[in-house]
Order: sequence, then C-alpha cells, then structure tokens
Amino acid sequence: MRPIIETEVVVIGGGVTGVGVLRDLTLRGIKAVLVEQRDFVHGTSSRNHGLLHSGARYAVRDEEAAIESYRENLILKKTVPGSVEATGGVFAKVPEDEDDYVAKWVKACAKVGIPTKEIPVAEAIKQEPYLNKRVQAVYHVPDGAVDPFTLAIDVAADAITRGAKVLTYSEVVAINKQGSTVSSVTVSNRYTGEKTDIHTKLVINAAGPWGSHVATLAEVPLKLINNKGLLTVMNHRINKQVINRLRMPGDADIFVPAHNVTIFGTTGRNVESPEDFSLDREELEQMLKEGEALVPGVTEMRMIRAFTGSRPLYQDTDDSDSSGRNVTRGLALLDHSTRDGLEGFITITGGKLTTFRYMAEKTVDLVCEKFGVNVACTTHEEQVAHRDAKQFFKETDIAPAAKTKLFHWAGKNAKEIETSLNNETEDKIVVCECEQITWAEIKAAMPEGRFNLTDIRRRTRLGMGPCQGTFCNQRVAALAVEKGIATQEEADWALKDAVTNRVKGMGVVATGETSKQLQMMETIYKVSLGLNEEGKSNV
Amino acid sequence: MHELSFHETTFEKCLKCNACTVNCPISNVSFDFGGPKHLGPELKRMMDHQEVIDDARIELCTLCGTCDASCPENVHVSTLTSYAKAIHAEENGTKFRDLILSNAELVGKLASTFAPITNMTMKVKPVRKAMQKVLGIHADRQFPTYEFSNFKRRYNKKHATTEKKVAYFTGCYATYNAPDVADSFIKVMEYNGIDVAIPEQKCCGVPMFANGQMKQGLKNAQFNTNSLLEYTRQGYDIVMTCTSCTSAFKKEYASYLKTEEAEELAQHIYDADEYLRILHEEGVLNTNFATINAKVGYYAPCHMKGQGIGNPAMDILELIPGFEIQDMAASCCGQCGTFGFKEEKYPYSLELGKGLATVVEELDADYTVTECGMCKNQLDQLTNKQVKHPMQILKTAYEKVPVTS
Ligand SMILES: Cc1cc2nc3c(=O)[nH]c(=O)nc-3n(C[C@H](O)[C@H](O)[C@H](O)COP(=O)(O)OP(=O)(O)OC[C@H]3O[C@@H](n4cnc5c(N)ncnc54)[C@H](O)[C@@H]3O)c2cc1C
Repeated sequence: MRPIIETEVVVIGGGVTGVGVLRDLTLRGIKAVLVEQRDFVHGTSSRNHGLLHSGARYAVRDEEAAIESYRENLILKKTVPGSVEATGGVFAKVPEDEDDYVAKWVKACAKVGIPTKEIPVAEAIKQEPYLNKRVQAVYHVPDGAVDPFTLAIDVAADAITRGAKVLTYSEVVAINKQGSTVSSVTVSNRYTGEKTDIHTKLVINAAGPWGSHVATLAEVPLKLINNKGLLTVMNHRINKQVINRLRMPGDADIFVPAHNVTIFGTTGRNVESPEDFSLDREELEQMLKEGEALVPGVTEMRMIRAFTGSRPLYQDTDDSDSSGRNVTRGLALLDHSTRDGLEGFITITGGKLTTFRYMAEKTVDLVCEKFGVNVACTTHEEQVAHRDAKQFFKETDIAPAAKTKLFHWAGKNAKEIETSLNNETEDKIVVCECEQITWAEIKAAMPEGRFNLTDIRRRTRLGMGPCQGTFCNQRVAALAVEKGIATQEEADWALKDAVTNRVKGMGVVATGETSKQLQMMETIYKVSLGLNEEGKSNV
Repeated sequence: MHELSFHETTFEKCLKCNACTVNCPISNVSFDFGGPKHLGPELKRMMDHQEVIDDARIELCTLCGTCDASCPENVHVSTLTSYAKAIHAEENGTKFRDLILSNAELVGKLASTFAPITNMTMKVKPVRKAMQKVLGIHADRQFPTYEFSNFKRRYNKKHATTEKKVAYFTGCYATYNAPDVADSFIKVMEYNGIDVAIPEQKCCGVPMFANGQMKQGLKNAQFNTNSLLEYTRQGYDIVMTCTSCTSAFKKEYASYLKTEEAEELAQHIYDADEYLRILHEEGVLNTNFATINAKVGYYAPCHMKGQGIGNPAMDILELIPGFEIQDMAASCCGQCGTFGFKEEKYPYSLELGKGLATVVEELDADYTVTECGMCKNQLDQLTNKQVKHPMQILKTAYEKVPVTS
C-alpha cells in the first residue's frame, strides 16, 4: 500500500501563485497540501524580472491591469516587506520614442490614480548615472523590486507555520476521479520514485506553464500559450531604481535592480514545452542592442548569466496567435465544473508576480464558495514575517559586508544565526564571497531532504555572484560532507548538478570576463577537483 | 547618494581569483586584514547604488599597490581600497594623528623650521611616550630627520634653458628630510647637460589617500596636474626621485581624477633612474663614472615595482665600474609611508619588515640602496647598514672622476 495523505485541498505548483493560494487557504482555515515537482520557484516564479509593477507600464494599453498592479504594489510593500525593495522607478523617453505617447501616458496614469512626477533630466542622470544622457523626459513612479525567491519561501513558510503542508520534489503524476469528481492525486518523489496518494476534495492547478499538462492529467482541455522571455543579469547593480522606457511596452525596455545586480530584459517568443529554457545568443544580442537606447554601453558591460522563463498566457478560443501579444495577461480563474463538468478541479493561471496575492484571493473565494465557508480574505493586511534583522548581530564579529547582508536577510532565522556566529568560529567562514554568505546562514537556511546546492542557492543567494559558484559550491559541498549533512556521493552529485546549471546560463553571455570566469570554473572543477561528466570525483 | 560614491568600474573585471590577496604583504603576515580583493572590488560591487559599507579593517591597507601589479585583469584594486579608506574616514572621523601624518608637507614645513629641535624631540623618550599616548605614534618608531636648510631654501629655479628640459617634482621627503637627494639629482642632471626647473607643487597626495583624506588628496592632485602640465606642454619632462610620487602621477592621478589632463600628464612622468636609462638607450647618458668599489644590496620599493618599469636603479648603477649591486628581492618593508608610525600598526610593520631585515643581515653588503625615503626609514630602524639613494651614489661617481686637462 502506498502512503496516503488526507486533506481538503491540493495545490499543484510551488510558484508564487501556488504558495499564495496555500497561504490564503490556511488563513481561512482550510486544510491544504501543496505539491511541487522540484523546489519552490522552479518555474516562472524564479525566471522573471522581479519588477513590482506600479501599473504605469500598463496604463495606456490595459487600464484594468494598471489598477490591479498599483493596488497590489501598495499591498505587497506592506504585507511582504522583507521581499520588496521600494526602489521607486523612472520612465525615460529617448529621442527614438514617439513624442505623443508621453502625454497619453501621463494622462492614463492620472486617470487610474498612479502617481507620476516629472524630474529634470539633469537630476535623473545624477540619480542614475548609467541612464542615456540624451533622454528627453523622465518621470518618477512607485515601482519596486521584488525578490521572488524570498517571496515564495516566506509566504510558504508562513502557511506552514499556520498548519499547511508542503511536499517538494513531488510531481503529480495522476489525478484520480470518482465519476466526474476529483478524489485524489498521486505524486511521485523525484529522487526516489516513491509514490504517495493524497485524498482531497479539491485540486487547484497552479502549475504555471505546466498548466496544460496538469489539465491533461485531469482529462480537461486547457489551452495555454507559453510565451518565453529572456533576461540577463548584469555583473553589478547599475541602477538604484527601476528604469523603464517611456513608450508602448515592447522588448528590452526594463532594468530592475535586484540586490547586488541588475536584471535586464526582456523578450517574448512562444514555445511548445514548459521545460524549454533554451538560450539563444542572437536573441540576446538583439535585446542588448535595443537596451542601448536606455543604457548606452550595455552591450559591452559584463553580464553574469542569462536565463529564460515562460509566461503562461491563457487563451480562450483555439485560434492561435503566435506573437502572444493579443492574449490576455490578466489572471484566468477557471472553474472546471462549470466549464468542463469536472467537479473538484480549478485552474488559476496567467497574471503576474505583482498580482499573485490577488490571484490567490480570487481562487480561495471560489473555494470558499464551493465549500460553503464564510471567511473573508485577510492577505491584504496580514503581514508575512519581515526579513529585517537590524537589532541582531551587534556583538557579532564578522565582515561588515556579511553583516549588512544579514541585516536585510536573516529575518526569522536571525537569532539562530546570531547564536551560531557568536559561538562557533567555523560558522563565521564566509563561504560565498561574492554574496557574503556565512556557513551559519547556510546551516539555518538548509531545507530538509536531499542535499542540493541549487535549493541552498534559492534560499541564500549562494553562488549567485560573478564567480557563479566557482569557489563557494565546492566549499559548501566539502563542509556538508565534513559535518555529516551529505555523503560523498550526494555532495558530488549536488556539485555536478549545480555546476551544469550555472555553466549553461554563463555560456550564452560568455564574452570577455565572463568567458574567462567560465574557463576558470571549468578548470577548477574538471582539472583541479577532477569532477568529470558523471559527477564523480576522481580524487 | 553618499558623497563618496565614486565612479570606478574596473571592479567589473574581477574574476575572484585572489591573486591580489595572495600577493598582499599585509595578508601574508596577518588574518586581521580582509584582503585587497574583498576590501577593493568585492566591496565596491556590493555598494554601488546601495548602502555604503564601512569596514574598519581597511586601515591595515598600506596602499603599497602590490595588488594592482598582481591583478591579471588590471583591476585598479588600490584605487578601490583608497576609496574604502575615504569612506572609513568619513564615517568615523579621522584621528588627529592621521590628519597630521597625512599632511607630510605641513609637518615638513613646520619641522624644518625648527629642525634641530624637532630632531631632538623625536629622539627624547618622554616626548615620544607622550606622542604615543596622545597621538598614537609609536614611541619606538624612529623618525626621519628634518633639515633646516630644506631644498626649497636652496634651489628655486623656475625655468630651464637647455635643450632637454627637466621639471623636478621634488616631493616632501627630498624637500624636507633629505635635501641631499634633491641636490644630488640636480648635480646628476648637470653632469648630463640638463637644466632642472622646480615647478610649483604640493604634496603628491599619497599620504592623504592612505589616511582616507581623499578630498584633500584630490585637490592636491588637481593642483599638481595643472601646474605640471604647463611644463610638459612646453616640452619639459617631469622627473621624480620618490617612487611613491612617481607612482601617484603615473597611476593614481589618472585613476582617481579620470580626466584627460591627468592621462596626458602621466605620459610625461619619469622616475629619475628610469629617465637616466632612457638617456642611456638614446646614447646620450654621460657614462664617465669613476670607479666605486663597493658591494651593495638594492631594495626595490613597492611603489617602484608597481610601475612596471623593470629595475631602472640597478640598470643604471651597474654602469659604474667596480660597483657590485645585488637585488635583495625582499617583499614589502613594512614602513609603508605613514602606516608604520601608528601605534596600533607598529607590530604589523615590524612583522612585515622581518623578511627584509633578514636579507640585509645575510647579504652583509657595504650598504643598502633604495629610492624610497620611507623604506629607508624602516631600514634605518631594522638594520645597521647605511641606506643611500641612487642619485647620491651617481653624484659621487661623477664627482670622483679625476679632472684631466
Ligand atoms: C520573462 C518574464 C518576466 C516577467 N517579469 C515579471 C515582472 O517583472 N513582474 C511581475 O509581476 N511578473 C512578471 N512575470 C510574470 C510572473 O513571473 C508569472 O506570472 C508568475 O511567476 C507565475 O507564477 P506561477 O506560480 O503561476 O507559475 P510557476 O512559477 O511556473 O509555478 C508553477 C510550478 O508548478 C510546478 N509544477 C508543474 N507541473 C507540476 C506537477 N505535475 N506536479 C507538481 N508541480 C508541478 C512547477 O515546477 C512550477 O514550480 C514575468 C514572466 C516572465 C516569463
């Protein structure tokens, strides 16, 4: 007999949408289990721009999206402060951009209530020295930067403290029915292949670009367009605030700061498979060329890596539109009982990172209606634990840079990290120098389950800096073996897995310094450490 | 934005290889220092467009520039660490002592006015104890002596009349502490038929950068750049006898000021020995040297090595008949400008100097040669060998040539 779990709702997908739904369900007293085929934010939720939209980008074209974004922008700044940096943003018009659009845009923003403020060009350039000196008009807007990694992890952690259950590395392989009602899902452990049945009243498909596939498991038709966008990570943070191009939204027109880096993009190309994370050098070059308009010289700047993610866009009818532009980017909440006659199955898709909370609210409203539960949503007020930890580490003797990181990062782990830093000399070792991460922090953030460097990366930023794990991944792997956290085989596997992953993202941007960095990484791993293709150490 | 946010992008090229840290003299004697990679490029990357991070360990950086020379990617590591110093000074205020030490010129002017008294005071124990207590200048540290007849009082020619013209940036050390070095240089040039002018000048700024006085240092840099460009644009070559000054004009000015003027000036800057070597290559150096039978050890200052000009002092001194000179190939002497005067840095300074002291002792030469006045200060303290500047030796070699009629 397979192990069985009993619950009321199963949420499929550990992206922001899924964790948002999980937390809202829990807050309204509904028992729920979230299942994720890999780790949190394996999908689009970690493969995006991290822009907390002010709505200004949508003001002209999509009023509703603009209003939603601005409202959620204000709510998220308040409710998930640890994952939001209220950087503010600017919209800048370059000579190539249409003159008429400016007035149209200012008017549209005013209409939906998004505050904009014109700033003198000289002042804007002083604030953002990398901005094109030829800009003709610059406006300030309340954009922000959101860290999707901490966002998803913290929202999920909050739900877990309130009684929710999460199974990672658990892929839904079957959705089982009794008659025309969903009764359970079967999940398979990604590492062991072990299967578990989860008995449930309701299943929520929050599988992002995998949504169609999950719908197929439930035998309902669902047409999604997966619109893949390319993003590139600059070697350092080149802007204080978000920089947008003041024109009709297009490709390559946003620079978003993200801690120590800036993320620049993006593009849009429809792809078949949700697993299509392929990178195209030509697309990158085109994007960079376009980016020169806002940030001259961007083509020559050092980049750390590039990555792609797919926007799951819901299409109501079947006539396919290859540009992906005319399909709604708003949220799509599908009740498959009214739509397809299948009870106990809901799909929530589309939308944005910025509106994930609202998507969850709408979804859980529907669940409550179905369950006859009369509890109002509170996520617009209920705060997720802050990451701020300034009151800690006063006596802690570590590099000020590492301390600064902890001040903004440690959050609810602060006490534990402080204690271990103050008591164990070894815990003070800065294992990742680019991002200033101590072993104490790694220990505190290490998820349960199999030792996996990529999971640690998502929780700490390990290996996210310019060296892309050349030095830190092996240090952490070695320490894990030394401390009995992982076996030699597990550590080798994790190292190989992490390196392969990084090499791919670096390869496409590998010119100049990044190509040398890549060579150094490969030399260290393949020659010095003897890590061959199978992930076995020869030493 | 923080007043000290500065535009310096060479950190972008850092590959995190740690070559700078491996070669850093301080990192080699102590774990207390965060190392040039962390306090230079790494820290800068984490501060750009974000909050300023003040790391007190930057005080241990001596700005010797070994990091710059060891970087395979040409990151301006010491520019970055000097800004980290400026940030630290700004955030914490500057110790009165560091202000004094950074102002070598002012101290020089004052001290040379009262030269005999100053020199006496520096040797008197109770006074030194008080200085350590009040100022944090270590009581056991020997000081360079000051000369009443400072060089400015001796020689003040503003224009050269020969075809090849040299403008001499004297620097604080040769002006106030060792006017004999300056005199010797003028003489050496004279033996080569080159007239020397002394342009208006202020301290090169190196001690200011080292003590976080970035703004004052930049002011001086700007002043000197303007003043010296007037000369180079009239065909003068700028020559210096202090390798730290030379290094500042060649490297730091361009890197800190980021102006075309600073770049332009850098093309005309020569270390005195480097200049003589060029004359020799051009076949115009007066090689009529008297024989000096001596066996000497040469010590290359960090700021000379950082210029990437090979070893011009040895190249020139080897031309003297009978002169046997050997490179002692020792690492940093540990005086490091004002660093070694500070009470809390004194132990590091001595630890750093050990290597050099041992080589001097083992070589047991007749005396030691080095261009740098600060290295000389450490050598005077740690060894019992006399220390000479190459110009002093060359002058003697010219003067001892018997006059034939
Ligand atoms: C290039 C790009 C840039 C973007 N920029 C922004 C931006 O700046 N601001 C903004 O607000 N929005 C942005 N977005 C949109 C935003 O990222 C997405 O709307 C959001 O992340 C979608 O989250 P999700 O949870 O719905 O999907 P996902 O994050 O993809 O989550 C789905 C999860 O389901 C899991 N899963 C799939 N199948 C199964 C299965 N069978 N069993 C178990 N688990 C399964 C997957 O592993 C995945 O983790 C951007 C999108 C893209 C593509």
